[in-house]
Amino acid sequence: MRLLKVSTICWLMLACTLFVFAAGEQEKAAKPLQIVQWTHEDPNRTPLEEKWIAEFQSEYPNVRVVRETSPSGKIKEKVLTAFAAMKGPDIFNLEAEDEWQYIVSERVAPVDLEAVEYSSYEALRNEYLPVTFNGALYEGKVYGMPMEITNWCIYINNKYYREVGLDPAKDYPKTWEQMVTVAEKLTIREGEVIKRRGFDFRYPYYLAFFVPMANQLGGTVLTPDGKSAAVDSPAWIKLLRYMADWGPNGHNLGSPTYTNARKTFNRDDNSIAMCISGLYQYDRIKAENEAFLPEVSVVPYPRFEDAVNDNGAAVYGHYYMVNSSSSPEVQEWAWKLIKYFTSHEEEFLDQVGLIIPSKKLLQTDVYRNKKFADVFIEDMRKSNFIMTHESGPKIQDVIKEMVEGVMLSNIPPAEAARRGKQKIDDILGM
Amino acid sequence: MGIKRRQYWGLIFVLPAVIFFALFSYLPMINSFIASFHSKDIISLKAPVFVGFKNYIHIFTSEDFINSIKATIIFAVGCFIPLVTISLLIATVIVSLRRIPWIQNLFKMIYYSPSIVSGVVSATIWLLIFDPRGLANQWLNFIAGNPTPVDFKWLALPAMARLATIIIYFWKYVGYFVIIYFAGLVSIPQSLYEVADIDGASGWKKFLSITIPLLKPTIEFVFIVAFIQCVRTFSIQYVFVQSGSPREPINVVSLNIYTTAMQYHSLGRSTAMSVSLFCFILIFTIVQLRIYRSERVSYV
Repeated sequence: MRLLKVSTICWLMLACTLFVFAAGEQEKAAKPLQIVQWTHEDPNRTPLEEKWIAEFQSEYPNVRVVRETSPSGKIKEKVLTAFAAMKGPDIFNLEAEDEWQYIVSERVAPVDLEAVEYSSYEALRNEYLPVTFNGALYEGKVYGMPMEITNWCIYINNKYYREVGLDPAKDYPKTWEQMVTVAEKLTIREGEVIKRRGFDFRYPYYLAFFVPMANQLGGTVLTPDGKSAAVDSPAWIKLLRYMADWGPNGHNLGSPTYTNARKTFNRDDNSIAMCISGLYQYDRIKAENEAFLPEVSVVPYPRFEDAVNDNGAAVYGHYYMVNSSSSPEVQEWAWKLIKYFTSHEEEFLDQVGLIIPSKKLLQTDVYRNKKFADVFIEDMRKSNFIMTHESGPKIQDVIKEMVEGVMLSNIPPAEAARRGKQKIDDILGM
Repeated sequence: MGIKRRQYWGLIFVLPAVIFFALFSYLPMINSFIASFHSKDIISLKAPVFVGFKNYIHIFTSEDFINSIKATIIFAVGCFIPLVTISLLIATVIVSLRRIPWIQNLFKMIYYSPSIVSGVVSATIWLLIFDPRGLANQWLNFIAGNPTPVDFKWLALPAMARLATIIIYFWKYVGYFVIIYFAGLVSIPQSLYEVADIDGASGWKKFLSITIPLLKPTIEFVFIVAFIQCVRTFSIQYVFVQSGSPREPINVVSLNIYTTAMQYHSLGRSTAMSVSLFCFILIFTIVQLRIYRSERVSYV
């Protein structure tokens, strides 16, 4: 009898559950279409995108956008984990070198030309500078709309230059060899402990700042046929020696273990005199510490004295991409929303310092009046797009190990290069 | 009939837990085992390719995995020995404070509190201490009486990075084992010590002849749990590597599993490493259990 009661209760519970699911299905039909966007934290961009989302939603009440942000260092893993589990947001953006693997793996959809109102991919590309789609163009199709295309230059705190008797307008480092001398003058140490770094690199973005240094010396990551690694060439060994000398066991000018130079630079707290960053840094300083702006100047990325190529830091970007697993209807509205975002390129540049290099933007006063934009664009014209390879992030990780090995673990440059080549060859053969 | 009905209800009550473990523990374990014989990129839509023992052959012939085994052994030994010995000493001292219960409770709370902090948070706090301008350098320079500060390069030099991770792990888990030892120590009948006092036994003699033999089940538990914890360490090394420390000296197996899956996207190789680590822990635990069971003592 008791068993009968228990079984009746179980059946009733099951019936209730089914009823709830059925009601959910009906509700789903009445709900507005939802688009989930994942992006990295950017305090200047957030209010702009939130404003545009509100405008978009009021124009199209059938669409609801959920915008979620994550720290820059975490979003890569978050997106990867979600895609590995066959989930993921409808719209996301990562650095171009990280996005490439999603394109090659067919996890993102090509741009919906009808939704973004272009007749062909060629017509879309013609609206922008030629370099713009280098990180999103695959087998004739474009897989992302540019949120930002940028490169890095050197930000200088003029006050510290003057403090050590240097003129920031004339004495800034034009070569990496001069960088050692200038940084040494600006560095303040107490015993072996660095109190103020003259300059430090932007670890661990090795594809963006380090590979271009190797390119200057004639080095490349891969052999011309792309089948094996070329990181054991004399150019790489020379560069690794330079980094070993830079580190705590050499001239003790900086280290990957110190706080990110770009972050502390904005504080103007006597902890760093120069750092590497993009044009967006200027607006971040404006937002965080506006009083510091008059003391900031920007100079081109240095070259090696015996450089064989005159390139600056890598040109890279963030593209808005759409998940190929999202429903066709969601994909269509996602591209419409992206089109709405990217059509505001003047506000992107003016308020966030992000360059969407459309030909239209370069004709505007906003671009002409943007402080230091000319320094970045001039260096960008001479530079290469960041390495886009389906194993790009893995290769970057190997380069990180090579550089940190010579800087921190006293591994001889030739040995670090040998191990790096072996690992990259292994990745290519996976 | 009554017994049978009770058994039936017992089964019903246990069933949710069995289903939960089957879904969230055993099923992923079986999946991992199967995945370790396949080649699969975690974001690719392509179906996994069966490669037999290729992943196992690759990992056991790669310098990287051998280095990870070495890094794990150094960490486990460096952490395990101080953890199991010092926590016993601390627990003994705390038990001896039984006449001042509030001090006893205060010490228990102080030692236990770091173990409730997450590994990532612990590592982040200690990163500030190990910063070149942080407290670790300041204290050591003060103790050594250095006229000009020396940078001990806690996060940069391979040996120091290893030592730093061991210190953090010890700090985090010593309190947990102190509490376990404490529970074992207070369960030893006081009458045995009183009899030993009458017989004129010294403190050391009582410790060796009463405390240690009767604490064996607790010691057995602590040894097994501490060893498994040390071998599975991940979050501290992960935070260190993210903060720029050299990977090689602290690239423990768990961190290598993570890197192989999340950065190299090789699900097959990372699961082969996971299965190897699981087998190693299982064999070691069985051996430890066999040894301890043969040495059990009872004074009852």
